[in-house]
Formats: sequence, structure tokens, C-alpha cells
Amino acid sequence: MSKKKQVVTSTGVVVKPKPLGTRIWNNRGYYVMFIPVLITVLIMNYWPMLGVRYAFYDYKPVGQPTWAGIKHFSNMFSTSAFWTAFVNTLQLSIMKLVLDTSAAVIVSVFLNEMGNLLAKKTLQTVIYLPHFMSWAVVASIFSLLLSPSSTGMVNGWLKDLGIIAAEGSGIYFLADSRWWRPIFYVINIWKETGWGTIIFLATLSGINPELYEAADIDGATRMQKIRYVTMPALSNTIVTVLVLNLAKVMNIFESVFVLYNNAVYDVSDVISTYIYRQTFAIALPNYGYSTAVGLFKSLVGGALVIICNQISKKTRGRGII
Amino acid sequence: MKSKKKIKTFDLVNYIVFVIIGLIVLVPIWKVLVDSLNAVGVYQFRLWPNRFTLDGYKTIIETKLLYKPFLNSVITTLFGTFLGLMLSTLAGYVLAQEELPGRNILAYMLLFTMIFSGGMIPEYLVMKKLGLVNSMWLLVVKHGVNVYNFVLMKNFFEGIPGSLYEAARIDGCTPMGIFFKIVLPLSKAALASVGLMFAVTVWNDYSTVKIYITDPNQVNFQYKLRNMIMDGDTPTTAYNVSQTTLFNAGIIAAILPFMVLYPFLQKYFVKGVNIGAVKE
Repeated sequence: MSKKKQVVTSTGVVVKPKPLGTRIWNNRGYYVMFIPVLITVLIMNYWPMLGVRYAFYDYKPVGQPTWAGIKHFSNMFSTSAFWTAFVNTLQLSIMKLVLDTSAAVIVSVFLNEMGNLLAKKTLQTVIYLPHFMSWAVVASIFSLLLSPSSTGMVNGWLKDLGIIAAEGSGIYFLADSRWWRPIFYVINIWKETGWGTIIFLATLSGINPELYEAADIDGATRMQKIRYVTMPALSNTIVTVLVLNLAKVMNIFESVFVLYNNAVYDVSDVISTYIYRQTFAIALPNYGYSTAVGLFKSLVGGALVIICNQISKKTRGRGII
Repeated sequence: MKSKKKIKTFDLVNYIVFVIIGLIVLVPIWKVLVDSLNAVGVYQFRLWPNRFTLDGYKTIIETKLLYKPFLNSVITTLFGTFLGLMLSTLAGYVLAQEELPGRNILAYMLLFTMIFSGGMIPEYLVMKKLGLVNSMWLLVVKHGVNVYNFVLMKNFFEGIPGSLYEAARIDGCTPMGIFFKIVLPLSKAALASVGLMFAVTVWNDYSTVKIYITDPNQVNFQYKLRNMIMDGDTPTTAYNVSQTTLFNAGIIAAILPFMVLYPFLQKYFVKGVNIGAVKE
């Protein structure tokens, strides 16, 4: 007997469920309320999905698209700029994830150890700030700070300290392939570390104080308490954060988009910026080709979400979607 | 005695680390603020402008190519937040009804969009068919329909005890009545948290504008700012103010709304993260 067949009310009475049609009719109010959501999601999310068929066509601005088979995909896999973008996507995303998470864990531990609540609250307020700035603003701030012109603070300081020649033109941090990636990581850490601490601090506030008291009785030092009580408590949350963000590695876009330029494509170009340029920044855009690259990105991204969802279910009993 | 001294050393180190972290975050922001009020551009870090001026801000208020994008940002943010809240409360409320036949189908329909998306080009072609390319209203629609926030709202609503719904239903309340009379008044914190997320997303968007909008009367302020500073697209009428002053004033204008609201709303921002990530 399937358990769907009977319903037990809160008073323990077993009743036969009403027929499906009746239940749907009784709930009609809810379905009516869902209509605006249904329509907007169908238009904004599902309609574009039909457009992935262009990946298999030669799309023309005028006239009917013609069938192209897997031509665009074989083109894609034999284009070196595509592979550069794919490798950069993985490298920038994963490195950024590892550095941001490490920084957030370290800062969280310091915040957790601070006994002065006012100091703790103040620093939290300060370090959350950059998260609310747009990537356009953050890129603008750092391009001014790092500018090789006479008003760039970093180059000015380096000249004052005699690290670079005072007469020289300064370092083009954002237009030099050797400098772009380190600067990209630093800017990411500056922007997101503070916000990243929220989830770790939530975990730390849940640690049973008795654990610290027991450690005190055993004569543990401050460092030992961090090593043997705080860090193990954080390990689950660290895994959660890594899994959640691993699902999103293909999505990296805006942070690169605002900071890169044609002098550093080799180290900065990611899949999304590659699609953008192939479509909107060249004279004769090939919609079929860029749709194919987009479809590849969506499929890899979707697979990652499903994999990370499974890992998440196994490790913490709850999916990520 | 020895251990007490050790604790003190640790605290001292911690305070020093606090100050360093605080400075790393604040120095760039303070430099921008001071430079926006200083008539000449210098590389030195100053605590206070030495030649005070408001010309940077005045130029933004007086130059149409700068204040129009700012107004566009305000308008799209207000409408985007409203549309986002409307759709997410409706979606969250309906999906929080555990007994609703077909609830899972509706939920999977939303979840699938988090796994697979059409991608940049198909989305562009749909927007073109809808006549939204080159219009700022595109920002409202694009960010108002945010499935992640729909699910977030559902998580909030599931925290409302089911017995409240049941009592209202027995009293003859319609689903719509329960929504307006019980659910929304009980969810002010959730509305603030999710509303802020929508607002920040719309206000801060740059790439959507870059992809879809070329008309200078339709772009938003983030786009104009980044173009001005990093692509040299300064309006010609703005040439009677020092470039550095104008650029920095632009940055401050772009972050001002949220910086002003932020101290009062911090708890709502934080709440959104915790319900989304560590819901247990």
C-alpha cells in the first residue's frame, strides 16, 4: 500500500484524500498567483533555451538560418583562443576561490579571537563595505590607484621608496601580462574577503563554549585552542563554501570584464569575455559560433552544478539547489 | 604569570592585525573621497584635501551625460526592486505550500534554470525580439526575474508556522488574503533582505549595459563611470574640472546610496547570506 493513499490529520484521524481535480480546484488561488512568475520565467529563462539551436546553424541577420551540423563545435575545439579562455576560466576561478576562502578563514579566526566586541563589530562593518561596490567601481578605484600616471598612488610610493626609477614611466599593472593576474587576485581578496567571513563567523558562534572551557582546564594555549577546537569546527563550512563555489567556476565574467584589456588577453580572457568579443566587438559576428561556445559553457557549468549538488548531498545531507 | 603575559601578547597582535586589515580596506576608499574633494590630482595619500573644491560633484550634477545615467540608475533600481520583490514573494509563497498539487513540478521548473541557461547570444536575440535592446527597462526585467532570490524567499516563508495558514483558511481567508494579511506583514525582515539584494544587483550592473545598451540616454551610472575612467570617454563639457577630481567624485556618487543606507541595513544584508547558505 502506497503511503500517498491516506492522509492523517493533526488530530490523528485517517481520511481519504479528495480527488486530484478537487484539490487543484480548491487551490486555484495559488495557481493564479503563480501566473506572473510562470510567464516571466518562461520568457526570460526558457525562451532563450530554444535559441541554443543556433549553435547548429549558420545564423544570418537577414533570411533563414542554414543547417551547419557540428561545424561550429569543431571550429571551437581547434581554435587556440578558445582553449586559452577555457584554461584561464578554470585557473582564475579556482585560484580566486582558494585565495578568497583562505583569506576569509584567517580573518574570521582573528575576528573570533577578539574579546573587545566594539572592535569586532567595527571591523566587521568596515570589511563588509567593498562587497557592495560594483565591479565597475572597484575596477575604477584600482585603475586610479595603480595608474602609471603622476596621480597613481602605488607607482608614486614605489618611486618614493626607490623600488622603481623615479624618471621612468612606472609599472602598467593592469596592462602587463606579468602583473595582471596577481593584481586580479589582490583586488578580489580586497573586495570579497570581508563578506566571505559571514558564513564562517556564523559557524564559529555555534561552537559550544564548553569545548574551550575543557581546553582551558587541560592547559591549552590560545594557539592550541585555535588549532584543535576552532579549525576542526570550521572544516565542514570550508568544504561547503568550496563546493558551492566550485559549481560556479564557469560563471566568472564581470570581474574580468571590467579589469581586462587587449594588452592582457592571453592571461585574462575567460569563456564569457571570449563570447562577448566574438559577438559584440568584431566586425562580422558569427552568432552560430558564439552560441556554440555559450552552449559548451552552459553544459560544463550545468554538469558542475549537478556534481557539486551530489557532493553536497553526500557530505552535508543537503543539496545546493 | 607566564601564560597571562602570553595572552596579552596575543591580544596585542590581534589589535595590530585588526588595524592593518581595516587600513587595507579603508585607505583606497578614503583616498578616493579626499581626491574627489581636492582641486588637483596628486599621488600622495592625504587625510584631508589641501585645495578643497566641490567642482567634481557640481560637474556631475550639471552635465547631462553624467546626471542622466545617474537618474537611470535610480529609476531602474526602484522598479527592478519592486518587480523582483513582487515576483519573489509570489513564487516563494506558492512554493512554500507543501500540500499544493504540482508544487514539485513548479519548483523543478525554477531549479532547472539554475542548472542550464540559454547563454549570452540566445538571451540577446530574445531581448531583441522583445524590443528591449537599447532600453534601460531591460535592466528591470532581467534582474527582476532572479530564480535564486525566489528560492531564498521560499526559505524565508517556510519559517512561518503552517498552523497560521490553517487557522486563516478555516476563518475563510483566500490564498490572496492570507498573503497580504498574514505572510507579508510577518516578513518585513525577509522583504528588506531580499529587496536589498535586488537593489544592489540592479544598481551595480555594468556588463548587461555594456552588452545591450549603446544609447547614451539609456545607460546607467556604473557603465558611464567605468567608461569615463578606463576608456577615456569623458563628456567634453566636463573639461573645466581636474580629471582626477571628476573621476573620484564619480566613484563616490556611484557608491553613495548604499554607503549611506549601509550602517542602518547591515543586519538585513547579513541575514540574506545566512538564510541562503547555512539554512539548517
